[in-house]
Formats: sequence, structure tokens, C-alpha cells
Amino acid sequence: MSDAEVTVKSATRVNDELLSSLRPPTLAWYLLAFFLGVVVACGLAAFTWQMMNGMYVTGKNRPVMWGFYITGFVFWVGLSHSGTMVSSILRLSRANWRRPILRAAEAMTVFSITVAGLFPLIHLGRNWTFFYMIPYPNQRGLWPNFRSPLLWDMTAITAYIIGSSLFLYLGLLPDLAVVRDRTTGWRHKMYAVLAMGWRGSAHEWSVYHKASTLMAALIIPVAVSVHSIVAWDFAVTVVPGWHSTIFPPYFVIGAILSGVAAVITLMITIRKVFHLEDYLTPLHFDNMGKLLLVISLLWTYAYFVEVQITWYAHEPIEWEVFSFLSSRYTPQLLIMLVGNSLLPIIFLCFKKLRRSIGVMLVVSLWVNVAMFIERFLIIVPTLSHKNMPFAWGSYSPSLVETLVNLGALAGFVLLFILFAKFFPIVAISDVRELDVRKAEVPMGRTRVPSIAEKE
Amino acid sequence: MEKQTSPYKWGMVIDLDRCTGCGACVVACQAENNVGICEKKEISEGRNMHWLRIERFWLGEYPDVRVRFLPVMCQHCHDAPCEPVCPVYASYHNPDGLNGQVYVRCVGTRYCGNNCPYAVRVFNFYPHEWPKPLDNQLSPDVTVRSRGVMEKCSFCIQRIRRAKEEATAEGRLVRDGEVQPACAQTCPSEAMTFGNLADLRSRAARLARSPRRFHLLEHLGTHPSVIYLKGGGREHV
Amino acid sequence: MEILGIFRDIESAAKAVAGLVRVGFTEDQIDSLTSVPYPEGALVRTKQSSWFRWLALTGGLSGALAGFVLVAGTASLYPVQTGDKPIIAIYPTAIICFEVGMLFAIIGTMVGMFLEMGLPALNKRVYDPAVAEGCIGISLTIHGGGRCGALHAGSSD
Repeated sequence: MSDAEVTVKSATRVNDELLSSLRPPTLAWYLLAFFLGVVVACGLAAFTWQMMNGMYVTGKNRPVMWGFYITGFVFWVGLSHSGTMVSSILRLSRANWRRPILRAAEAMTVFSITVAGLFPLIHLGRNWTFFYMIPYPNQRGLWPNFRSPLLWDMTAITAYIIGSSLFLYLGLLPDLAVVRDRTTGWRHKMYAVLAMGWRGSAHEWSVYHKASTLMAALIIPVAVSVHSIVAWDFAVTVVPGWHSTIFPPYFVIGAILSGVAAVITLMITIRKVFHLEDYLTPLHFDNMGKLLLVISLLWTYAYFVEVQITWYAHEPIEWEVFSFLSSRYTPQLLIMLVGNSLLPIIFLCFKKLRRSIGVMLVVSLWVNVAMFIERFLIIVPTLSHKNMPFAWGSYSPSLVETLVNLGALAGFVLLFILFAKFFPIVAISDVRELDVRKAEVPMGRTRVPSIAEKE
Repeated sequence: MEKQTSPYKWGMVIDLDRCTGCGACVVACQAENNVGICEKKEISEGRNMHWLRIERFWLGEYPDVRVRFLPVMCQHCHDAPCEPVCPVYASYHNPDGLNGQVYVRCVGTRYCGNNCPYAVRVFNFYPHEWPKPLDNQLSPDVTVRSRGVMEKCSFCIQRIRRAKEEATAEGRLVRDGEVQPACAQTCPSEAMTFGNLADLRSRAARLARSPRRFHLLEHLGTHPSVIYLKGGGREHV
Repeated sequence: MEILGIFRDIESAAKAVAGLVRVGFTEDQIDSLTSVPYPEGALVRTKQSSWFRWLALTGGLSGALAGFVLVAGTASLYPVQTGDKPIIAIYPTAIICFEVGMLFAIIGTMVGMFLEMGLPALNKRVYDPAVAEGCIGISLTIHGGGRCGALHAGSSD
């Protein structure tokens, strides 16, 4: 009887702890939301200023016609690979340590792709005519040009927003039932509608398990294709330095690097804020650190390959791009190399450092700063020095562009804290599933933990 | 789907041995096509609106200094990199061999500007105005572009259209020399010749067969409609 | 009608199911309600095959077709020459077919899953919020004219 009571109590306790973020908001939460709202408003104001006055408020010119906005776009699309890669791959490989991490990663995906989808609208010269790019029968009889990589972008991002939202919702379904059962009033009604009457019957779980596996398998090709398509925005051009077949895999690797680092940062944050120390243990950071190390090695390899073949063949135009990059943007290049390669490879080789929250925070934050710089260094120096030397130029970001990018970041964080206020930030049923299946089994002279697996 | 055909294949031959770098063509183009007047601030930011630019290269050391001039405008490539990347078909290829730019359709993604290897496409970063009485000089046949729109040399398509209309009314094709873009018309040393390259007897087609011919950035395979002539082998002004 | 019994842990719930089976109820009359999935057969047996994946496949194929119509159809409606590229170009068509196909496959998976689960349920079914706190519910479905006497065996609080 006492064992059974302990099991039931701990389930309730688990629910209480994991649902602590759904408490009514505190003053600190309101202050944070207000601050983020102010930053978002600044970004909106900057964008409105640009729309009313003209693109001259940005730093763009001829020949550098893309700058901070497209940097932001590629960066946020890259970040959106966090959820799919971390969540799907860990799900499909049945790694048990994935359980507390999934929800935050999947939510991050949805919000970062939403933010990313705003940038193609922000960077237009005539934003109010954006609907020309939407395929709908119209009085002009004209359709958009599907041969353009920008239309592939639009299709892919639409597919990914819908796909990742559905993926997030699928993961949320059993947890929505738990929250539904613990709330009253308007909240209860809301969760009851969202939970679609989920009861947790054996049949529902069986179908759910099959559906989760299928969704995880389907979302990975979509994620890879989305970032490949964004890479093709650059790779299908004749611009020297962009026209390179390594771009799609290089971008996907960079996206996974960026995403894994962002998930680590997020894990550290929610662990601190929601007191989830029992659920996000050093083991989880250890494993995420190993993942980050592997991806960082891959990225280093891809970057090395790209530069090495440019250096060796020494085609004047291609080499000029890299030579200009390294002379004009030297500090940025160094920050990027340190953040993406040096720090992860050196620090994450050591178990003790992987398990240290402070080290992981520094490494993961620096990776994302370095990734933003990396996107910038792909786009701007290449455009600055194209084929005709008389038309070479340079670019510096303006205040408007910086504010818009900061507003996007604040918007992402705001969406996230709103999500955490209404939905469980850790996958409750996933975490408790492990508790149910774990047992200590005597083996020889010791007792070892054993986990009952599904077939 | 077969490509639409046309008896015209417009092209321009620019003789670099005749070009003096005077810049009259640039001014003529600005006047004819309502190209925005740019302030010093705009130009220093790299946002000049010249559809046609004269590139100037210095060679050698004092006292043996030489200079070369290269007028560069839209090359009206037959395999234009700027055309497939426009998401809204604002940049397209017309059957006469011209690369067309539809100002009202342009949403301003600037992808075409990035993909043009010759960097001949300009973007209206600033709204350009013609304060009175400068608005009297605006050409009535040419749109005045708003901000946020890409533009570039059109081989004075308004003049080509006018000539074609007159020719069709008279039931004939456009005669050689009947249509001249503003730059070719103005050039004092007759360095620029415009004509129908499909008509093998036109002046432009004959000049285009010269052994001095070359294309800019030929290795990119854009097949430009602008042919440059330069005495090969010898360094001379 | 459906009757629900709530148990605090898996062992007593399993004893209840075994008891019901012994008394004569069939496996498909007995169902479990849990907040975490238990391994197959620990409480009740479920059907191993499921059909919703066919819906996902149908979605994928119809999406690929829709993508083709979108690219090739709209390009043919108003052909505009760009570069030296054909009006219906192979790679852009393949890319859009893939994307739209995957989107429809994902939507098909979700719709199929809900259809196969029978959610949202049209009629009210038994449930107890204690299930969310870790308790296990065992439900028994009795069709009209069932044996009411067997109800008391094996159900406890």
C-alpha cells in the first residue's frame, strides 16, 4: 500500500512541479512581458518608419542590396531547426534523456519560424504589394513566378510553420488533458477544447504512438528541405562566393548547430526560472553537449572545406570575396570562428565542463552570436565585391535594421513566455512515462536501473 | 511551350576605341528616362541612380598614364540571371530580346539586383522628386518610378515601341537607324550603334561581326546583347 | 453503457482486469484510461494494425499533385519567359511538389489520427480527473442486456 501511495503522490508532485509555470503571472512576469513588449514596439516603430520613408533608412546600397534583414531571416530559419532536429531525431532514436527537453525545443521551432517568416515581408521595397507573391486567381491574370527561389521559400516556410505547429500540438495533446483536469472556469473550457476529449485510453495511446513516430519521420525532410531552399536563395545565383554546391548542407549543419545551442540556452533558462533542477539534470546537459560537439565538428569541417578549395584554386573573383571578408571584417570573423569551432570543440570534450551549467551557457550563447555573424559574413562581403570592380561597395547596418532585429528577438522571447504561461513547458506525460517504466533490478552484486521499452 | 519569336533582336555595339568618356550618354539617358536626380549624400552612400555608368580605369605610372573607359548599361542578356529570380515576374524576357522591367509589378525584393553580375540594376532607395519647374523636363512616355522599385536601362523601349507602332501602321518592319536610344543618339564620337542584330545587313549587325568584338563577363554565359569592340593585342588609348 | 473503476497503481488495476476476464468479459469490452502509456499487454491488449497512415499517404500523393498543378498550371495559364528557362521547369516543379506533398502528408497524419481515435467524441464518455494525477482507470463497456451481477467483482476505490 505504501509503495502505491508513493507512486500516486509522486505523480501529483510531478504534475505540480512541471505545471508551476502555469500559475497566475507574478509581477516579475508582467515586468518582463512589458519590457519585451517595449522592445517589440521599438522594432515595429522602426519598421513603420522605414515603410513610410523608404529603404534609404537601412544601410543597403548598390551592390549590397541585402543586409541585416536577410541575415536575420536566415538566422531565424536556422534556429527553427532546433525543435525538429533535437525532437525528431531523439524521438526516433528512442533516447530517454530527450523527455524533459522536447517541449521547449518544439515550441522554439514554431516561434522562430514565425519570426523568420516576417523578414521577407519586412525587407520588401514596397511592402504593401507583398500579396503579388501569393498565388491566387486575380483580375491581372498573373501568378507568381515559381521558378524563383523566393517562392520556394514561401512554400517551404508555410509548410514548415503548419507542420511544426501540428507537431507541437501533437506532443501537447496528452498534457493538455492533464491541465484540463486540473483547471476550472474559462481555462478548463479552453483546454477541454484543445484536448479534443482525450481520455488516455489504450487505443488512443496506441494510435498516438504511431502518429508521433510518423510525424517525427515526416518533419525531418521538411526541415532539411526548408533550410536547403533558403540556402538555394544564394547558391542558385551567379554571384561568386555564393554559387557553391556546399551551401545547402552547410546551411543545414549551421542551422542544427544554432538550434542545439539555443535549446541548451533555453534549457538553462527554464531550469532556473521554473525550478526544474530535478528534471533537467547534468546528464541532460552532458548529452546535449555531446550533440553540440558533434555538430560543431561538422560545421568546422564544412567551413574548412569551403575556404580551402577557394584558396587552393585561387580563382581571382572567388578568392577576392574571402580576402575582402578577412580584411574588412576581421574581428567578426574571429568571433565567429572562436564561437562556432574553438570553444565548443575545446570545452565540450570534457565531461566535467559539459555538466557545468555556467560553461554550457557561455558556449551556447556564443555559438548563436557567432552564427548570426556567420550569416552576415556569407551575405554582405560576397555582395560587396561582385564581378565588376568598379561597382564594389560596402555595408554597415543602420539603427532601423538593428532595432527591427532586436524587436524580432524580443518578439520571439515574448511568444515563448506567453506559451510557457499557458502550456506546460516540459512534456509531462513523457517524463512520467519514464518513471512508470523505470525499475531497479538486482544484477550480480549491485542493483541497476532498468527501463521497460515498447516493442 | 515554344518560345515566342520576333523579327527583331535588338542589340547595341559599343566601340571602345571611339569612346572618349565624355559622359554625354549618361546625361542623355537621365533626361530621356526620368532617372532620379541624386544628391551628393545619396551618391556617397552608394545609391546613385545611373542606368548607364562610364567605368574608368587608370593604367600605368606617371608619365606613362593611360585611361580606359567602359560604358556599362543593362546588357539585356539572353540568359539573364535577373529574370528567373524575380518572384513576381517584374523582370522578364520579351520576344524582341529585351530584358523588361515592369515597375508597377516590382515588390522590391532586390534579388534581381543581387544576381546581376554587371551590377547595372538600380533600386529606388530614396523617393525622387522633380520640384517645379523641373517637372517640365519629364519625358511623357516614361513612367516616373516610386520608391521601392528596381529599374535599369531599357534600351529606351519607349522609342522602340513608338518606332514599331509607326512601322506597323505603314505595314513594314522598323528600318535600320530609325530607332536610337538616347545614349546612342547623343554620343558625339558615334561610339554606340543600336540596331536589329537579326537583320544581318543592319549597321549594328555588321559591326558585331568585327574581329575586335567581345562580351563583358563572357564566361558567365549570360549571352548579352551588348557587344563591345576594342583593338585587341595592343595597349592603346 | 460504460463503467469506470479507479485504481491507485498498476498492480491492482491489472488484478482487476484479470478478474474481469476470468468472470467472462471479453478483452475488447475492457479498456484502460491512463495519463502515461503502459507497455502493450500490461493492462489491456490493443489492435496492432491501424489505418490512419493510409490517410497520410493519400495526403502526400494528393499534395504532390496539388503542387504540380500549382507550379505547372499557373505557369501555363500566363507563360512569361524568364532567362533561358523553360516555362515548366523541372527542378522548381519537383521542389514545390515535394513541399506541398509533405505538408498534406503531415495534415493527413493529424486528421487520420484524430479520425481513428474517434476524437472529439460525439457522445459523453466516462472519465475521472484522478487519471491525470497518476491513477489508472479501468472501464468496462456493457452492451444492452449484459450481466449486471458481474459489476461488483474486481472494482474497488
